[in-house]
Amino acid sequence: MFHNSSQKKYWIFKSEDEIEHMRCKANQKFRNKALESRKPGGSESMFLQRHEEDVLFRHYERRLLEFCNAFKPTMPKSVVGTAVMYFRRFYLSNSVMEYHPRIIMLTCTYLACKVDEFNVSSTQFVGNLVQETPAGQERILEQILEYELLLIQQLNFHLVVHNPYRPMEGLLIDLKTRYPTLESPESLRKTADDFLTQAAMTDAGLLFSPSQIALTAILNSASRAGLNMESYLNECLGLKEDKETLSRMYDSMRRMKTLLKKYEPPKLEEVNISKQRLERIHAEFASSSNKRKRGYEEDGHVAKEPRLVEEVRWGNIVLSLTVLF
Amino acid sequence: MEQYNILGRTGEGAHGIVFKAKHIETGETVALKKVALRRLEDGIPNQALREIKALQEIKDNEHVVKLKDVFPHGTGFVLVFDFMLSDLSEVIRNSQRPLTPAQVKSYMMMLLKGVAFLHHNNVMHRDLKPANLLISSSGHLKIADFGLARLFSEQGERLYSHQVATRWYRAPELLYGARKYDEGVDLWAVGCIFGELLNSSPLFPGENDIEQLCCVLRVLGTPTQDSWPEIVELPDYNKITFKENPAIPLEEIVPDMPPQAVDLLYKFLVYPSKQRCSARQALLHPYFFTSPIPAHHSELPIPERGGRPPRQRFQAPPTDFSVDLPLQNSVVDPALIQGYASCL
Repeated sequence: MFHNSSQKKYWIFKSEDEIEHMRCKANQKFRNKALESRKPGGSESMFLQRHEEDVLFRHYERRLLEFCNAFKPTMPKSVVGTAVMYFRRFYLSNSVMEYHPRIIMLTCTYLACKVDEFNVSSTQFVGNLVQETPAGQERILEQILEYELLLIQQLNFHLVVHNPYRPMEGLLIDLKTRYPTLESPESLRKTADDFLTQAAMTDAGLLFSPSQIALTAILNSASRAGLNMESYLNECLGLKEDKETLSRMYDSMRRMKTLLKKYEPPKLEEVNISKQRLERIHAEFASSSNKRKRGYEEDGHVAKEPRLVEEVRWGNIVLSLTVLF
Repeated sequence: MEQYNILGRTGEGAHGIVFKAKHIETGETVALKKVALRRLEDGIPNQALREIKALQEIKDNEHVVKLKDVFPHGTGFVLVFDFMLSDLSEVIRNSQRPLTPAQVKSYMMMLLKGVAFLHHNNVMHRDLKPANLLISSSGHLKIADFGLARLFSEQGERLYSHQVATRWYRAPELLYGARKYDEGVDLWAVGCIFGELLNSSPLFPGENDIEQLCCVLRVLGTPTQDSWPEIVELPDYNKITFKENPAIPLEEIVPDMPPQAVDLLYKFLVYPSKQRCSARQALLHPYFFTSPIPAHHSELPIPERGGRPPRQRFQAPPTDFSVDLPLQNSVVDPALIQGYASCL
């Protein structure tokens, strides 16, 4: 249930400003770290600005959706929704300059498949990267597995994502059973679906509850078809007496629509420029890729050393440790 | 990890080693379940993800273990739970004398409260068995091990795996290969556990999957389309046929038990999943309201880890018991039992 979910508790934010502030902080965090670690000469100008990060984020988000939509076997919507949400949550506190979105988007999708019990094997998963050779697929899989732990950590181990798809089904059923004024609720579906697809590419999911998003999708679809559904809110949802909730809801809906309107698909030339700069940054500051490698070392003498370190870190160990893992 | 003092190793779970440890700051004793990721070709195991997922999204309940924390450690991560002294399988195994009717009743009540809570929160446990019912130092029972748990939705267009649940507690529809099932699989397991508590030995101890089905069929009788209409739709229905035999009355399976106990057992051990009594309903069954009433948790045995004989405790009641608790915490809302009041 959404009302006692980790999503409601930790991943719904007050305002667009709050979200933007987090992203700026992430950008700054990377700059500081990079400047500290490097010999002088590395200049601020080589880093991506916030709007450039955004362009890349939107670009890779679209690629994520393309990958999911072309996935065989067909990926359920909720899995796609969860993957996109993971991707958004991850880059709230991490810059694309630090972790390349190319691999994070696949890691998000891979984790979403598992969490949402869409059971595909790892080989089957990377098998969907059709433009890659088998060897390339294997290499990417290795990377995905390397980043999985980082991802789940950055998500604060909050795995369950509530998507607006089920609330929308619920609302459609409600309309069919309790709101005879509306002749064919099903006719609202197409436009409402499109709204949800659009909403997934905005911060709507970080600002509003899934049911609010679904309701906005339905009402928006109705108003496009020239239907007035005010009486549904007043009568069926019982908001007639509760003017305050009603006006707050209208306000949320307006904000959501503005969000969607503001969305611009990334322009190809902008993407290319930012991408080139991103590659340069990653080449210069490739920092974080070695620390996770350890997790996947084969048994044998290579692994001996870390294991010793482990023992010390476990501290005050009374037991005779042979193999911890 | 630096926040904990490791006190010892208590066991090995399906996805890692379990340590007993002390939280340095609070002095609390906890169980640390380490999930290692080395050489797993599919990455973080589903079981660990399910466990986090199921436990993170539900509120605290007295009869469900609490996931206190998750944090990354080394090459994997660590799940932190309340430390529990024992589990129900040890209690059953190590009791010198059979559990008293009042004790059995108390365990059943705690189990049903936990299951009712999970089902209310749309969580199917799918692996209920005595070994997964942990016993705290105060005698409380808590449901643990959510490695197979699943959030379910009534939409039900997705298929589930039938390779769930430990064999002896596996519902007949799973034995017939069902891929669509519901929380009834947990209620079947509750019935099996109930029978085991009454008899001090497992009800259906099949040695393999086929024999498991034989065990169940021997007691419940060969299913027919009358007794179990849905059976014809199950994947393995036509793959195996059994000689027809009639059901054995449960009175003979759990001899010398009061009629209310047998009646409640009947409510769980039925073929059609939908006909099994829900946990919430079961809590209102006359069994719980007839003498002897369920034992207080301070009257329950607490065996120690490692199979030493149980000690009845004669010390002061544990601190989490208080007569000062508001009375309404322990009474049933009369409105809920209204419909049942006539049978009391």
